[in-house]
Amino acid sequence: MPELAGLQRERVKWCVSRYMLMPGNQSTASASASALRDLDEGMGVKEFCANGIAIKTTEVEAKLDEGNIQEAESSLREGLSLNFEEARALLGRLEYQRGNVEGALRVFEGIDLHAAIQRLQPSLTEKPSRKARSLTDSVHGISQRAAGLVLEAIYLKTKSLQKLRRLTEAASECKSVLDAVESIFQHGIPDLQVDTKLQETVSQAVELLPELWKQAGSHHEAISAYRRALLGQWNLDSDCCARIQKKFAVFLLYSGVEAASPSLSVQIEGSYIPRNNLEEAILLLMIILRKCCLGKIKWDQSVMEHLTFALSVCGQTSVLAKQLEEGRPGILNRVDRWNSLALCYSAAGENKDALDLLRKSLHKHERPNDLMPLLLAAKICSQDSLYAAEGTKYAERAVTNAQGIDEHLKGVGLRMMGLCLGKQAKSSSSDFERSHLQSEASKLLEEAFVFERKNPDLLFELGAQYAEQRNLNAALHYAKRFIDATGGSILNGWRLLALILSAQKRFSEAMVVIDTALDETVKWEQRLLLKMKAKLKISQSLPMDAIETYRYLLALVQAQRKSCGPLRSTHLADKVNEFEVWHGIANLYSSLSHWKDVEICLEKAQALNQYSAEALQTEGTMCDVRGQLNEALAAYINAVLWEPDSVPCKISLGALLSKMSSNALPVAKGLLSDALRIDPTNSKAWYWLGMVHRDDGRIADAMECFQAAAMLEETDPVESFSSLL
Amino acid sequence: MSDFESSGKSSPKTTLTAATPAGETIQTTATQQPSLETQSECQAAIESLFHILTSIPPPHSSGTVLLHDPSISSQISTLLRHPDTGAGNHHLCRWLYDTFLSSIPELQLLVLRYIPLVAGVYVTRVTQVRPLAGFEAVLLAVYAHEATSRAGQAISVRIPDLSSPSIYHESNVPVENNATELNMAVISSRLEPHGTVRSTKRARIVGVALEVYFSKILLMPVGSKLDFCEFCEVWAGQDGDMYRGGRAAEGGRPRGGEGDGGGGEMVEGGRIPLPWELLRPCLRILGHCLMSGENKELYDKASGACRCLYARALHDLDPMAILAAGSLLKLMKMETSSDDFDTTEMAIVKHQTC
Repeated sequence: MPELAGLQRERVKWCVSRYMLMPGNQSTASASASALRDLDEGMGVKEFCANGIAIKTTEVEAKLDEGNIQEAESSLREGLSLNFEEARALLGRLEYQRGNVEGALRVFEGIDLHAAIQRLQPSLTEKPSRKARSLTDSVHGISQRAAGLVLEAIYLKTKSLQKLRRLTEAASECKSVLDAVESIFQHGIPDLQVDTKLQETVSQAVELLPELWKQAGSHHEAISAYRRALLGQWNLDSDCCARIQKKFAVFLLYSGVEAASPSLSVQIEGSYIPRNNLEEAILLLMIILRKCCLGKIKWDQSVMEHLTFALSVCGQTSVLAKQLEEGRPGILNRVDRWNSLALCYSAAGENKDALDLLRKSLHKHERPNDLMPLLLAAKICSQDSLYAAEGTKYAERAVTNAQGIDEHLKGVGLRMMGLCLGKQAKSSSSDFERSHLQSEASKLLEEAFVFERKNPDLLFELGAQYAEQRNLNAALHYAKRFIDATGGSILNGWRLLALILSAQKRFSEAMVVIDTALDETVKWEQRLLLKMKAKLKISQSLPMDAIETYRYLLALVQAQRKSCGPLRSTHLADKVNEFEVWHGIANLYSSLSHWKDVEICLEKAQALNQYSAEALQTEGTMCDVRGQLNEALAAYINAVLWEPDSVPCKISLGALLSKMSSNALPVAKGLLSDALRIDPTNSKAWYWLGMVHRDDGRIADAMECFQAAAMLEETDPVESFSSLL
Repeated sequence: MSDFESSGKSSPKTTLTAATPAGETIQTTATQQPSLETQSECQAAIESLFHILTSIPPPHSSGTVLLHDPSISSQISTLLRHPDTGAGNHHLCRWLYDTFLSSIPELQLLVLRYIPLVAGVYVTRVTQVRPLAGFEAVLLAVYAHEATSRAGQAISVRIPDLSSPSIYHESNVPVENNATELNMAVISSRLEPHGTVRSTKRARIVGVALEVYFSKILLMPVGSKLDFCEFCEVWAGQDGDMYRGGRAAEGGRPRGGEGDGGGGEMVEGGRIPLPWELLRPCLRILGHCLMSGENKELYDKASGACRCLYARALHDLDPMAILAAGSLLKLMKMETSSDDFDTTEMAIVKHQTC
């Protein structure tokens, strides 16, 4: 058998007659490829050429078509003075290119490629010393081409097998290409000295192997192959590397195969090692994006989308926002970017930032009529009475623009408008305006309900809206429907229903609702319900039961605080804390005039929260009732100073002042009016305002206030309806 | 070069951190020869299944065979979709429950195959006054199994930060201050034991059952995934046809259950609250159905479901869901418009075949 090493002495090329290439030219392969293309389009004539001789392929092809591989091979060997392997490799390639993969496979199977590789190794591992570069360079270059020819032959065999769907065989052939490269270039492929054709084959094989395993259904082999591709020194160009990284990330994200951690041998101390699929996929996608941002590779929007999916599935939209912000300007449309960022921030709970971005994208010079940003902005505004008016405008615009593809969102627009108006009503300065806004709000929500028949959220919102207006029958109707529609799965639904019943003074029914709700909740999420239960007990004049409930609640809160790891607190939606419980008990004892107990409870509460207006207010009440007016006054004033918007403190202070001296009546009136501006449905504030009017001699005003107080008291829930939001 | 460990041997780290959502107890396939006892138990379970289905078991039927047997799955599906199914004493629910508890991996897989159907039928029927204890028992069994195998641990992800080096990239920042500062994301909080399905925990229990399903999705037959996509659409309760890229909606299909073998009882309603704990596993399963390139029918069904969920996310104005479902939608569009050429093909051949 002729020595394949002989190749070193010969220039073996496979090109076209008119494009004879210079010996040692690095761009041999690509030049020949393009040369063939040109010629192919021109005349359709191809030739083998090696050692300065050329043979027309048609002659060889004719022999192949007759099934005479040996004859074709020998004519090549004789015509071009090639050895057996070289001739076969060329023949196989010809067959492959003609699309005859079976024929190609037959040709390739005739050669012992692995033996050829073995023979190649020693000559290549004799690394050229740096000093003798000029001499060894050409030798090295030629041997590389020889290696290239052999490796290409195996690679084409792989491709033939792949096309014949013999995937496992294909994969193991492909693997042998990589094994061979690794044993030939033990120190990685040198960056500069490598033959282009050889590099191309290596890159293609590296990229193909994991795909073959995937197609063959060997998922874990595929993962190993991907990692081998990305962690080995294959001298891949950026595009190829990014392609592999993307394919691997996609595989990790969606295949459903759980990859084990990379083995310890590749781990460098201190570097980030992904532990699971999501971590690895996110890492890879981030690296690709970084390369895009540095301009090393072309921007690929799909990478961004995969990362969006991965990070939002992890709930890490703030990280996603950072990635979006890092992108170079001009890659993403700025309005799209603002909108995506707004979604990210809003999902991460940073609604103010989201709103700022949405304002930019909804500016009249940008895209003022985009539905999603309009609706999202309206939703964010609807949560804050400061922005509610702005939100109404967005929602209105959304309703007028809900056409065509977005028509289905009309109901959402109406709903948001209703919510914004409802919120606006809360900060409204005049009674007239407030009641107008409130009725508008419920009208819009009803209108939205026509479009969104199946949306239970609207039922809840309608119920809450009517409850705020103290239209309790309507509120009850919707609250019940909400529970039915959600199968009782939403905690707030139960709370709304219980509150409405308590406002109707149907305490025992409210109790039943709360007990049912407690049954349907796990212990850790019962706090709000228990708090409401205690208050219901108080309203039922069952203070001992209430204390029992508080005691249970306290034990629960304390147990939870102790068992609370750093990861636990994140998903606890309810926020009743220990302070609130102590304060609640203090209030209860205060109403029973058990002053000693009040003091103890207040001490406990203040140990947890020293600067609390609520605790001070309770303390003030205690002093007030015991006749220590100055102490009470000091406590109330401190409370108001600490929390200027605290309605109960304002009322208590106003009430106390009006009792203390007739000179203070104007101040008291101011305080109480202020309290009513913040909470217009507070019956106590109306009552004390009435008292002030009476003491000042304005009997008609006093009557109106008392009337309002009486009406409101009749429909007072045990907790404010706004505590639901 | 580095030798990578294949699936079997994971480094001790992975096992500690509970990286695999499902425990090790459900093996992927029955690789080792099952013991005689297991075999007879398996056979008994299969016999009792055929007793319920009132048909004769084919010879040599095993769990794995039944998993991929279309006639068996259509019989079981029809039974599960029947309006009367779901009561505590229903034979099939009982069988699913008992079989899952048997801890024989291939039988557990067979039960998991019907999780989309059980969850789908169950959740859509919750608002109707019907006994559903049978369905609940099956879902609770899966939940309890998962709770045990997670051993009180949450599933979390450390979000990488490119400023410190990783196995795939280098960084000029000195290696010291990482690891501790990494962003931790809890993607599935720790599981409390549940003896019954409390209504406020329903979404969580169903969500965890779907998480388990996703962890075995590779072994699930297409039919099961199709069931899932069907219920995703029903749950979304929102028509997504307007997001069909470019083309106009094809003659607006009626919403709700369309010709789904089990009678028209699902036509009404169907839309359910979709909190993140339920939506998250749904989106991951959908992602798999869309991207795994398994089957055209599955792709079509999954893309339909994805459009519905996107529409639903817009109606709920849920930013996280808009981002996640929206990205799948955009990826679908990119896939249809891109002309991917095979970069592993020889340059010349590419030309010749043109």
